[in-house]
Amino acid sequence: MPNSPQRPRPSSFTRISMVAWREFRHTALTKGFIFGAIVVPILMFGLIALMPLLLSDKTPPLVGTVVVADPSGTILPRAKAILEKPASMQEVAQDLAEELSTTPKDTASQMGAMSKLSDLNPAPVQVEWRSERDFNAVESIKAEVRDGTAIAAATIQPDALDPSKPATALELFIPSSLSPKHVRQLQRAFRQALEDERIARSGVDAQLLERLARAPEPATTRISPQGSEAEERTELRMIVPGAFMMLLWITIFTSANYLLTTTIEEKSNKVMEVLLAATSPMELLAGKIFGYALVSTVMLVMYGGLGIAGLAAGTMLDIVPIEHLVYFLLCFVMAYFMVASMMAAVGSAVSDLREAQSLVGPVMMLLIIPLVLWAPIIENPNGLLATIMSFVPPASPFVLILRLTAATEPIPLWQTLLALTWGFACAYGMVWIAARIFRVGVLMQGKPPTPRELLRWAMVR
Amino acid sequence: MASSQRFQTAAVRIEGVEKHFGNVHAVRGISLEIPERSLCGFLGPNGAGKSTTIRMIMSIISPDRGTVEVLGGSALSMKDRIGYLPEDRGLYRKMRVGEFLGYVARLKGVHATGLSRRIDDWLERLALPGVAKRRCEELSKGQQQKIQLLASIIHAPDLLILDEPFSGLDPVNGRIVLDLIREEQARGATIIFSTHQMHTAEALCDRIVLINKGEKVLDTTMADLRATHDDRGLVCEPRADPAAFAEAARARGIARHARLHDNGAVDLELADGQTTESAMSAVLEIAPMRSIALRRMNLDDVFVEIVGGSDAKGAKIDA
Repeated sequence: MPNSPQRPRPSSFTRISMVAWREFRHTALTKGFIFGAIVVPILMFGLIALMPLLLSDKTPPLVGTVVVADPSGTILPRAKAILEKPASMQEVAQDLAEELSTTPKDTASQMGAMSKLSDLNPAPVQVEWRSERDFNAVESIKAEVRDGTAIAAATIQPDALDPSKPATALELFIPSSLSPKHVRQLQRAFRQALEDERIARSGVDAQLLERLARAPEPATTRISPQGSEAEERTELRMIVPGAFMMLLWITIFTSANYLLTTTIEEKSNKVMEVLLAATSPMELLAGKIFGYALVSTVMLVMYGGLGIAGLAAGTMLDIVPIEHLVYFLLCFVMAYFMVASMMAAVGSAVSDLREAQSLVGPVMMLLIIPLVLWAPIIENPNGLLATIMSFVPPASPFVLILRLTAATEPIPLWQTLLALTWGFACAYGMVWIAARIFRVGVLMQGKPPTPRELLRWAMVR
Repeated sequence: MASSQRFQTAAVRIEGVEKHFGNVHAVRGISLEIPERSLCGFLGPNGAGKSTTIRMIMSIISPDRGTVEVLGGSALSMKDRIGYLPEDRGLYRKMRVGEFLGYVARLKGVHATGLSRRIDDWLERLALPGVAKRRCEELSKGQQQKIQLLASIIHAPDLLILDEPFSGLDPVNGRIVLDLIREEQARGATIIFSTHQMHTAEALCDRIVLINKGEKVLDTTMADLRATHDDRGLVCEPRADPAAFAEAARARGIARHARLHDNGAVDLELADGQTTESAMSAVLEIAPMRSIALRRMNLDDVFVEIVGGSDAKGAKIDA
């Protein structure tokens, strides 16, 4: 038998470190974590990058006869030339912008407008063109479309070249089987042909007209109170606070969720009592919280590092000033201790995840607010809702980071300091309450406690 | 013992301990002392308060009232000198056996140097060679139980508390654990274990604490228990009708109580003034006997008698 060892008693810090390291090692250094938290996001980014390739259009070519009833005889050659030449990106973008500005703001209309993006990759065209000078033959050419002899028939009224005439001066007849993409190609070709012919007849230089119509975007420069000037990137300035908040959410909730599930598992596995024979409940709780803080930090460094590297690669680091990073780290610490203490307390009090969800549910509703309202909060960081929510834990750090990094108007310094001080005080209070609930909860079995019972546990000696 | 100079005689000293769980009064003013190096059995029916008392000794829960002193101090500060096998067994299912044992040992203050070798030695000793690299979930229930026991003694504790150490073990593994407990006592550890297996407690313990309904109802050494209960009874197998024999033994003033067994044997509790020798002669005068023997103390009977379930064991004829 091995001899009894003479050994120094391990300090509380040593035991906390051991628990923390075990939690970290068995979470972050596992295949599941590496796959779920590292490989999957990388794959997702890769997938997004490869999306155009994966979604490359394989629409069959536009094959068949197009009959054009055009007394002037000038539209067909123009339409043919346009159809056989793919639209440039600029033309599609212009079309899209026009479409979005004129379509009603309902989802279906906007989806229709967005479908114009597919014009960037038009279907190949193998069309035979037939001109029909006799405009009275419209019924016979419609019959050709009906019986499938022709894939489309266009009728151009004699007065279609008059800009004052209504849109019905140009009509397109298509069979029910023609794909939407082919329809858009034909619509675009005839509309553009008619426009070009009208311009040509007016005697105006078409290229000059195009240059005149395309006024440049205003070059916008943002001037800081210190006098420095930087090119405005409005979209990025909207996205960055949202990205900060999402990064906070993902890193904290991933590890807090691990904390919740492992605590429940240890309780249901009955390994908890073995651990409590070696550590105090407080040491165990502290070890678990610090262990998963390490997990969160690893994710933060990884995702945040990727983001910073991306900005650096695009020479856009100036949109994330250093003080925003400091605010972010403060909010990260505050949010982590709030959420982790809550999850540890709930995990210790219940026997399975379903019971945990009923306890965590109401708080999660509060935490979803920043996710849902991030855009209005960024737009108006000093609004009443934003101001109030930045003082309501555990949503406060998530709202606060949105407010602090929003570009529009700075929040008063006193509010920043008060929100940070209040937030850390709340985080401390939540850890204190969680510790007291944890101490009682880990040894409790049976039905889950009610919120009132949890409160009583927190008050117990 | 590693630090025996820290305490004089009592490894565990409990004074007036009370514990409530809501409306349930789980432990009612228990006081006891467990001498160092003793092997003390905690007996009692289910729900008697044994595990609660043990958890208070371990400082896993705090008493509502009273004091608990372990190894001369608070159990919280002595955790590395205490080994504990809880009633509800638990392992990290995905953790490898060697890693789990190493983790618990390190938490208890065992130095990492040579720990792996130490674990291998112990696994060999418990007939579990080569399982160090296997995940806990891959082991059988009996193997898992031995790993849990090993986790409680890997750091060579001064006080070993085992809550139902034999439950779920087959006779072979039960024997291994029994030997291990004896060796731990021989090493110098004080051992407290709770069990429902009276014959095991009888064979192992040098001290018995019986708890019922949250109260201590018996606290004595096995020697005292035997002195009280041994030699004060006979077990007779009469060739005649056992009931008539029992009645006659009582009527002639040989026995105070007579209890009939299903196998035809009769337990006689001797009346005052009777010696075993005089009683043996007297019963032979009542009827011829297949066998006649001194009744040895039976912890089962003591348990049933004190806990109040004596009616469950055969008919009893009172004097």
